[in-house]
Amino acid sequence: MNPLMQHDQQLLARIGLAHIKARERARQRRQLRVALRFMAPALLLVGGLLLLPVLYNIWLSFTQWQLFEGRDDFAGWQNYIQLSDNPYFDEALGNTALWVVASVLFPLSLGLGMALLFRRMPGQEWFKSIIFLPRILAPTAAGVMWYYVYAPQGMLNQMLGVFTNMPVETGWLFEEQLVTPAIILAFVWQSCGLVMVLLLLGLAALPRDPLEAARMDGAGPWPLFRHITLPLLAPTLLMVVILSVLAGFTVFDLLWVMGANYPQQRTLSLAVFMYFEAFQKNSWAFAAATAVVIGGVVLAVTWLQTLLQARADRMVR
Amino acid sequence: MKHRALLPLLLSACCMYSTTAMAKEVQLFNDKGFWSGPLQTVANAARADGINLKISPYANAEQYKTFIQASVASGRTPELFTWWTGASLNTLAATGQLAPLGALWQEMEADGRFQPGVKELFSVNGQPYAVPLQLSRWVVLYDKRVFARLGLKPPASWAELQTVAARIKAAGQTPFLATTQDGWRGFIWFQELLLRTDPKAYTGLNNGSVAYDSPAVRNVFRIWSDMYAKGWFSDPRSNEEINDFVRGKGVMYLFGEWAVGLLDKAGFPLKELGVFILPNAPGVQQPAIIVEGAPIVASRKGLANPEVMKTLRFWVSNQGAQTWGKASGNYIGNDKIAAPNALISQVNTQLAQKRHTLFLRLWESVPSTLQGEMVAEFNRFMLKPDMSTAQHVMQRMQSLNAAYWSKRKKP
Amino acid sequence: MQNLSPQELAWIATARPPTPSPLRWGKTLCGLALALLWLLPFSYVLLAIFKSSAEYAASAPLSLPASAAPLLDNIRMAWEQAGMAQAMLNSTLYAGIGAALAVLLAAMAAYPLARMRFPLRNLWFLLLFAGTVFPFQMYLIPLFFGFQWAELLDTHLGMCLLYTAICIPFPVLVLRNYMQNLSLEIDQAARLDGASELILFWRIILPNLRGPMSAVFLLQFTWIWNDMLFSSVLGNSPETRSIMNALLVFQGSYAQSGPNIMLTAAVLASLPTLLLFVLLRRQFMQGLRVS
Repeated sequence: MNPLMQHDQQLLARIGLAHIKARERARQRRQLRVALRFMAPALLLVGGLLLLPVLYNIWLSFTQWQLFEGRDDFAGWQNYIQLSDNPYFDEALGNTALWVVASVLFPLSLGLGMALLFRRMPGQEWFKSIIFLPRILAPTAAGVMWYYVYAPQGMLNQMLGVFTNMPVETGWLFEEQLVTPAIILAFVWQSCGLVMVLLLLGLAALPRDPLEAARMDGAGPWPLFRHITLPLLAPTLLMVVILSVLAGFTVFDLLWVMGANYPQQRTLSLAVFMYFEAFQKNSWAFAAATAVVIGGVVLAVTWLQTLLQARADRMVR
Repeated sequence: MKHRALLPLLLSACCMYSTTAMAKEVQLFNDKGFWSGPLQTVANAARADGINLKISPYANAEQYKTFIQASVASGRTPELFTWWTGASLNTLAATGQLAPLGALWQEMEADGRFQPGVKELFSVNGQPYAVPLQLSRWVVLYDKRVFARLGLKPPASWAELQTVAARIKAAGQTPFLATTQDGWRGFIWFQELLLRTDPKAYTGLNNGSVAYDSPAVRNVFRIWSDMYAKGWFSDPRSNEEINDFVRGKGVMYLFGEWAVGLLDKAGFPLKELGVFILPNAPGVQQPAIIVEGAPIVASRKGLANPEVMKTLRFWVSNQGAQTWGKASGNYIGNDKIAAPNALISQVNTQLAQKRHTLFLRLWESVPSTLQGEMVAEFNRFMLKPDMSTAQHVMQRMQSLNAAYWSKRKKP
Repeated sequence: MQNLSPQELAWIATARPPTPSPLRWGKTLCGLALALLWLLPFSYVLLAIFKSSAEYAASAPLSLPASAAPLLDNIRMAWEQAGMAQAMLNSTLYAGIGAALAVLLAAMAAYPLARMRFPLRNLWFLLLFAGTVFPFQMYLIPLFFGFQWAELLDTHLGMCLLYTAICIPFPVLVLRNYMQNLSLEIDQAARLDGASELILFWRIILPNLRGPMSAVFLLQFTWIWNDMLFSSVLGNSPETRSIMNALLVFQGSYAQSGPNIMLTAAVLASLPTLLLFVLLRRQFMQGLRVS
């Protein structure tokens, strides 16, 4: 081929390519306009009512806004330093940690047990529905129910009275050592159903081949579960764990309803502490700082999840 | 298709949202939804005097406080609204947005409608900023039938109080009704016991000069836990205080006079209800009583509005006070008219016989940012009334108190 | 036997031969015990709502009610004292409009995200999706003052707007995934016919999304119905209160009414979503699966 022609062809190709690129860019701009028109209402609402408030909240946490005083004075890290000095914040943090551990441990172990138990049982639809039923209730309604279960003259004390043969009048929701475990029990009652259903979905989606192969090799039920089912279930388990961590970390409604008579209600969790500081004490900036701390932890957990999820997916493949 | 059907609904939702204001209307913003009926009765009576008063209740105290704060911060203070006395009033007055009402009070006192001393409750640094929405003295209500059956008289001294309580306990009933219902009641017995044993410390506690773990406070906790140990108090966990009194779960009930109306509504026969002022401990001479005043305040802009001032004048007039007293059972301090009920007039007589020093409730006197925490700590003690809890409660309260005053000047 | 679902048929088909009977009996007993334990709080509630206030105060919590007659009285008292008529209406409005509008707007937003190519597509998606990652505590204070400033506090409009916004991000994620799986050929054909993107979306894409859309609608509806937090901060007047907030206020201020009335109110407030669940269980489960 003659070099001139080759050069021409290259030139032509370049012109063509530039042309195509330009057309593509124009097309993309057009597409963007159309796309924005489709997304505008959603963007406006989400941006205006969710994302903007988050930014505003972060800014507030660095001001001195309290009571009638203005919100413009910059305070630096002062609110965050105050957080670490507040005795109620420490207790709220401790209780929140307890909630996170308990809301992973109990629903997960119970939910997994139930999923395995009910999986091939006759009438399993009934069992599953019964365990899932509390989940349909609003936490507020469930809280009202449990509030009276735990009342000094309530159901639990009556049953204990029958067993111990003497009158029991324990104030389950009044005493420091009892209130958090008591509310956690109500939470576990509500959340096991969802965990179980999610795990059942995960179990149903497991590939059958490895299980069958192992069973052919004569593996017993426990090694089968331990070495085949559990690793295959890892992505689902991870998702459930993260969901539980976030649920336990931000729990509010149940505590608000059931802890209404507990004098130190503000120490029941960080979310409750934040609500008290904001809407009872009107320490806006301080409460905003608490919200930022909660948000920071939630973001960190979510980020960890994406990391681990990617690894778990790779492991399964 | 579904969505098209929803459109009219959305539009109607928008309509509900827009409201039109009437001319010359005066709005009374408040957080007293439970008095909406009686307040409306006053508004109806005011109409005859050419006053167009609209009652605008807010859902709960927290949201209401926030609403007022935000309005004040943005310079849109409502012209007329209810507030709290004491520390909360001080904070609000410090913004400079409130109307001083000295001239109005001069009229109110000149013709003998209001006793001198009432004004003080509604003043900051000697300048009155409010008129009373209600004025309640904190007294002991008791069941006359039980007293009659046991042959008891209302106690006139500290020693008699002990005897009365011991006799009631011996007869198998609980002498005192006290609960932690609704989370705010914890301070009631504390304030009373401190006032009766050491009135100077009560004042000092609230201005930062006396510590929450001082001997005077410790002494109150000792008396209080001792009374609990003797079984003199009802179950603090109850959520039905008023009904509990009707059911006889406690014979004596230390509360504001406004409980009389609630007891009446709950079915307690008022003719069987007696009242006395808790006696002082030995060594304390000056008669004293705790009062609670709920104020109505006006903004500076409201002061310039003749309609607002007309409304306030009607409120403190004989006709206004009488209408309000009849409708709600509340007393505002106007002594030219008959008291709303027999118990209030009994207290009036007792106070007229001997001059009592008026003290604000702890709730109003304590710095408003500490209110919630302090009351919660008192509640914590009531649920576990021993001295080791008291020790911890005092420590915690003092650390909060010290942190608050470290940033401010004590008198 | 005729009413077996495809799922159940599948389970039967893949079931292993029955395990030795003692173990099976043990498992069934275990399951029964768990189910009974889970139902215990419900049974207490069911007994309580049939008792009059005097009867409740006098009898043990787990004793049988004397008759079913007090239920009507309890319902009437709960309904009136808690202001449930207004609250039910409000929640129906919020949940109906909020969820429907959110799903529709989410579908609109998901359409270009799934089926068009434009610059920074993933960034736009992340922007919308960011609405799900923050805890609600971060919205409360700014929304309260924002609503105050815009005079949206304690209005139906404000509540509807907020619930719509909060319910958008999740359906965007779900519907985008679904739309990505629809074949692109239908688009091409329609575009060749000269259909505009709007017509394409409305006539071709939306009808294909009925299943997932109704599933997410149901989930979002239930969520809004069950919400107490936002109503207690942004719409706490008696006129704008949501049903769960009304229940909370009722428990706070009218605890004097007695547990039987309170529990009746809790049951009444939960009935609509419980009924939805019983009637539409399959859609609920589909909702869980898509998420």
